[in-house]
Amino acid sequence: MLKKFSLFFVSICLLCLITMPVHAQESVTVMGVWTGAEADAFLKMVEPFEEETGIKVEFTGTRDLPAILNTRVQAGNPPDVAAMPNPGQMASFASQGRLVPLANFMDRETLLTQYSDAWLQLGSYDGQLYSIFISADLKSMVWYNPKAFAAAGYEVPSTWDELMVLSDKMLADGNTPWAIGLESGAASGWPGTDWIEDIMLRIAPPETYDAWVNHEIAWTNETVMEAFEIFGKIAKSNEYVYGGPNAVLTIPFGDSADALFTDPPNAYMHRQATFIKGFILEHFPDLVPGEDFDFFPFPAIKEEYGTPALGAADMLAMFNDTPEARAFMEYVASAKAQEIWVAELGKLAPNKKVDPMVYPDDITRKAADFLGEASVFRFDGSDLMPAAVGSGSFWTGILDYVSGEPLRNVLMQIEASALDAYRD
Amino acid sequence: MKTKQNNFLINAPMHVFVIIVAIIWIFPTVGLLITSFRPSADVASSGWWTVLAHPFNFTQFTLSNYRDVITNIGIGRAFVNTLIITIPACTLPIIIASFAAYAFAWMEFWGRRFFFILFVGLLVVPLQMTLIPILRIFNQLGLSGSFVGIWFAHAGYGLPLVIYLMYNYISGLPSEMFESSTIDGATPFQIFKSIVLPLSIPAIASITIFQFIWVWNDLLVALVYLGGTPDVAPLTVRISALVGSYGQNWELLTAAAFVSMALPLIIFLSLQRYFVRGIMAGSIKG
Repeated sequence: MLKKFSLFFVSICLLCLITMPVHAQESVTVMGVWTGAEADAFLKMVEPFEEETGIKVEFTGTRDLPAILNTRVQAGNPPDVAAMPNPGQMASFASQGRLVPLANFMDRETLLTQYSDAWLQLGSYDGQLYSIFISADLKSMVWYNPKAFAAAGYEVPSTWDELMVLSDKMLADGNTPWAIGLESGAASGWPGTDWIEDIMLRIAPPETYDAWVNHEIAWTNETVMEAFEIFGKIAKSNEYVYGGPNAVLTIPFGDSADALFTDPPNAYMHRQATFIKGFILEHFPDLVPGEDFDFFPFPAIKEEYGTPALGAADMLAMFNDTPEARAFMEYVASAKAQEIWVAELGKLAPNKKVDPMVYPDDITRKAADFLGEASVFRFDGSDLMPAAVGSGSFWTGILDYVSGEPLRNVLMQIEASALDAYRD
Repeated sequence: MKTKQNNFLINAPMHVFVIIVAIIWIFPTVGLLITSFRPSADVASSGWWTVLAHPFNFTQFTLSNYRDVITNIGIGRAFVNTLIITIPACTLPIIIASFAAYAFAWMEFWGRRFFFILFVGLLVVPLQMTLIPILRIFNQLGLSGSFVGIWFAHAGYGLPLVIYLMYNYISGLPSEMFESSTIDGATPFQIFKSIVLPLSIPAIASITIFQFIWVWNDLLVALVYLGGTPDVAPLTVRISALVGSYGQNWELLTAAAFVSMALPLIIFLSLQRYFVRGIMAGSIKG
């Protein structure tokens, strides 16, 4: 029995050693947050690179990127290239001296012919460029169903006042204006943070937004409070939002837009980023973008601040200065790579040389125009805040607020965690 | 006859309670199973219980989720990887723990009590705390990204509990056996090999289940020590990568859960009789 057992064990070990991967080929290891269809798109983007250079791209996609990446970096075993979860994380890696400055091999002048200065600024820390943006998502969008709007005789509003008049008209007709869903597993609450950020940009100058993100103004500040109250007027209402606050808390964000396409519509408007199109088309494959669903910019609230663009973006940075990693970074910065990547996913390309015709439909082109023309662009604030706030107390604060906790308590709790998180 | 009836009446509340608990436990799994056979559009628009209205209307079921999971490129390789990880990561700690538990229970040596408490005390150390220091050591030894490294990692994480459970069982064996074998001139290793090990089969079997399921379902340890590249990634890593980063295609997870459950289920259902027999044999001989 024992002999047989040890024989079995030894043979298994041998088998494992034989099947052990051999890394003889030139390769670059890449770690990203992309899984599923996004991972497929990423692999499609790197295919021409592998063919041209013979360098193999070993890609790992995990939704636990922040934790895994941090562990591997601290242990001195980082991937060659990694997607940065957010600019804040990039800055923290850069300040620890973990990242390779791209100026070592990339020319700023050449980059400026392809990227606006704003994108290069966002990818820099302390005046040094560390990361390249490969795609962007626009968030300041309100999705609606043009056919349902036409059938009920509703007009697309261009200001907040018009929007509220429209909402009340919908109520008078027995309809529900908004669909909101905040559920997103451990990240529940984040769709609400986008609301607050968009509202912040529309009730105060961008400098106030920056001060808020950098915690130079307190969470109990009047402007922040006003932003929460504007959001709460809709999300906490039993009439303005489909299903009332209970549904808002429990509907998965990816399913929440479905309410626009029932017959009769359960709701008429949904505020969400570009990527929600993918969910809509997956749930309702027969819908035609631009005809059955479309978007209008999240309207201006105070006229003087207009309609700034809130967004997020995917960025790559380099941990190991190998020739393969250099070649890879140069490739992803190119318009050619980004044309494949954004066309697959319907994202927007930061590289100016990308041909607008690669966008899959008019909605995406319209979003690209909006992003390009917006006088003010701001990065998703919760992505920029320290994780304890931006992906912690801000998320839970949104949930607490919608579930009925007094605003002052909610903001004081976030403020308490912020005082701690911004200290270092 | 009468006493039987009485027994039944006395036990009835107990049975009802057990059945209710069993139903509560199995309820989410049934939901998962039904969801795994539903098309994604249905999953998005209605709950799984709606199929119970017409349970025999087979047009509402589909195998497409299973097809998508099984035909996903690299899933076969991931299955092999999981086996390569799981089998040594199960056998290694159990072999070591059997030796250790025997020594702690029946051998006299200096500091026995202290070392035992030290090992079992390691149970309270959270795994996450060890990730960075151990990965650093692995980097220096060239073990990160290799199967050998993850065998050691899993063996180390499993050992405290496995030693503790094995100790409980082995220390309960009757001391007369050890005394008489020693008098007959058996060395400690002979005692271990011909008495302790055969008698511990039931304990080993049930502890193997614990360790097997823990390693089989592990995602974090594999991602950190092994990385997620297709040539080494286990099933859990592949499966978690099926879902988009915004949670798209989560209905695939329901099917994937059953695909990854299949092997453990087959093993344990088919070996169940053997486990029970092992326990009986042990009790009679002891």
